[in-house]
Amino acid sequence: MKRMIFILTYAFIVLGIYSFGKTQENEQLSIALQTQYSKSISDSSQKLGELEEAVKKSLLFEDKKSSAKEREDIWRLSSDIKASIASLPVDESFSTAWMNYLGRLGNYAKESTEQGNSDEYYAVIQKASDNLSELSNEWQVATSGMLSGKMSIKNWENRLSGTTEEETKWSKMGQSIKQYGEAVFPLTASETDAQKKKELRNIKDAKISEDEAIQRFKNLLPEVSNDVIAAEKSRKGSPYPFYHIRFSQNSSIGYIDITQKGGHILSYLVERRMGKPTKSYEELLQMANQFLEKAEYKDVVFEEARENDVAWHFVFIRENPDNGAKVFSDPIHIKMAKDNGEVLGVNTSEYIRKEQLKPQPIRPVNWKEFFRPDVKIMKEELAYVENNQLEQRLAHYLTVVSNEKKQETYKIVIDTDTLEVIKTEKQ
Amino acid sequence: MKRVVTRFLYILVASLMVLSFFVSHSEAFSGRDLAKGAKGDDVIELQARLQYIGFYHGEIDGNFGFGTYWALRNFQEKYGLPIDGIAGKGVKKKLTGVSDYDEKYVKGQIAKGNKFTYYGGQSLESQVQQGSKPQNQTQAPPKYTNQDITLLANAVYGESRGEPYEGQVAVAAVILNRVEHPDFPDTIGGVIFQPGAFTAVSDGQIWLTPNERAKEAVIDAINGWDPSENAIYYFNPITATSKWIWSRPQIKKIGLHIFCH
Repeated sequence: MKRMIFILTYAFIVLGIYSFGKTQENEQLSIALQTQYSKSISDSSQKLGELEEAVKKSLLFEDKKSSAKEREDIWRLSSDIKASIASLPVDESFSTAWMNYLGRLGNYAKESTEQGNSDEYYAVIQKASDNLSELSNEWQVATSGMLSGKMSIKNWENRLSGTTEEETKWSKMGQSIKQYGEAVFPLTASETDAQKKKELRNIKDAKISEDEAIQRFKNLLPEVSNDVIAAEKSRKGSPYPFYHIRFSQNSSIGYIDITQKGGHILSYLVERRMGKPTKSYEELLQMANQFLEKAEYKDVVFEEARENDVAWHFVFIRENPDNGAKVFSDPIHIKMAKDNGEVLGVNTSEYIRKEQLKPQPIRPVNWKEFFRPDVKIMKEELAYVENNQLEQRLAHYLTVVSNEKKQETYKIVIDTDTLEVIKTEKQ
Repeated sequence: MKRVVTRFLYILVASLMVLSFFVSHSEAFSGRDLAKGAKGDDVIELQARLQYIGFYHGEIDGNFGFGTYWALRNFQEKYGLPIDGIAGKGVKKKLTGVSDYDEKYVKGQIAKGNKFTYYGGQSLESQVQQGSKPQNQTQAPPKYTNQDITLLANAVYGESRGEPYEGQVAVAAVILNRVEHPDFPDTIGGVIFQPGAFTAVSDGQIWLTPNERAKEAVIDAINGWDPSENAIYYFNPITATSKWIWSRPQIKKIGLHIFCH
């Protein structure tokens, strides 16, 4: 009995010490976390004030050059605040609205320094300035509790997404920022990409039935399409309607998405056990070309290839028949199996909605004067590429090497008319 | 007896010579042609041999990029071969004849993650620096690093390892869509580690070692596949606690996840 009491007492003490240690540890972690969050809030508050000031200062000058520093500050500060907000455990809808607004503000200030209309800048930034003043005040109120150490991060979070009258006032912050963002700033580059896909809803082609979609799949990929598991329509929230078809044949399982209008393939992908590679690069490229021909993608040219363990990924780009320029916004991706040359994947979602191209002059340019002497042009082509103003521009698409010994390769895209460098990408 | 022994020795020596010929050939290139975009052991050999004779100055990593391409074209030009940047049978034969390849040294350095070169006429010891470079790098579009790919594979495995392959590619695509979207951080790390964004980060499952399937799914996503059809959110309707996520316009369901805008 005595021994039992001793063991129990001993276990109790050990457990007590352990749980005390754990509690201490958790408390320390909690303090460290709270400190970290407080720092982020404090940083964002301070920078929000600076941002508001920079926005106001940039409205003082008529000349773009005179406000260049302020515009640069707007871009830098909005980026900094974005980073601070991103590190806070705030409600997702709230933080994304913030990030959106700050991203748009920063990008707009930066892009308008390079190009853009002054009157438009003052109208947009004046509106942004008013919004920021209001937001800055609301942010001070919302964060004062956290910064004085009187409120835990959990409480703070609850209030941001709360339902009582006082709390709802806070949760409206996110919504108002969202409205500001959408009303004041133009679309960003990534949004136009997304927009391009969303525009698939405007395809004029006739609507096809589910059976017709399955038939199209069977005609195109007879090797895998014998056993369709399920075919269903996209959900109501989808920006463009499509059929989602899942299939299984032998060890192959995959899906194909086909637009309801016109029956265009959006993407196709299959997974299966892979065997030992037997097909060469040339054979696979030829097979990919044959597939494109069969699927009637006849206006594309091969651009690049990447080998990985089980497959090659090939990229084809639409070629404008008028001038032979590659249209980089209209690609088709194909994945080919190294073991038997089967088409494992097709992605044409961006190709379906072809870009509208305008004629554009090609000004003569002396590359020797354009580049430094150690830059050597290895290949010169024409391409259509989107510029900062989100327009498709005809451009010189150059492959250059900058260091004779190290052979560092860059792809450089230069507008044929304005000679503006649209993009420089290290390979 | 002496004659028998002598004959036996002759046969033995001849056999060894034949064997050594085949051994040295088995270490040389495989039969396939090598073009830009290729990867693997024979690309390592191609880069090493080109470096040995001073044509290639880049990293010997088994990825046939532009550096290897220009070096190969220069080699073809110098030796009067057709200049196409493809290492076919003729190119490999010529290259094998004029260069050397110490497979053990080269692959040993790669396995150790060391920074090294393989120039002929210099001692090998002087060409090595200790390092910890990751092995088995993936061929990816230029804007993605191997670190991005590793992080994506961790996230995909932590978030969706029980899901169909399509669902895993879709999870990777959602992360990439967020990077491009103005509402989210503009780096892969920023998106993945945004507080509260992914359950796998909150519960630590992101640090599980991803399998080959998750890695393959990431490779497909970075090569442009997006089974989510441009989604920026997804959730499991059985476990989701946020009311807000139900308000997002839904696109499609893959496995247990609903993908939405």
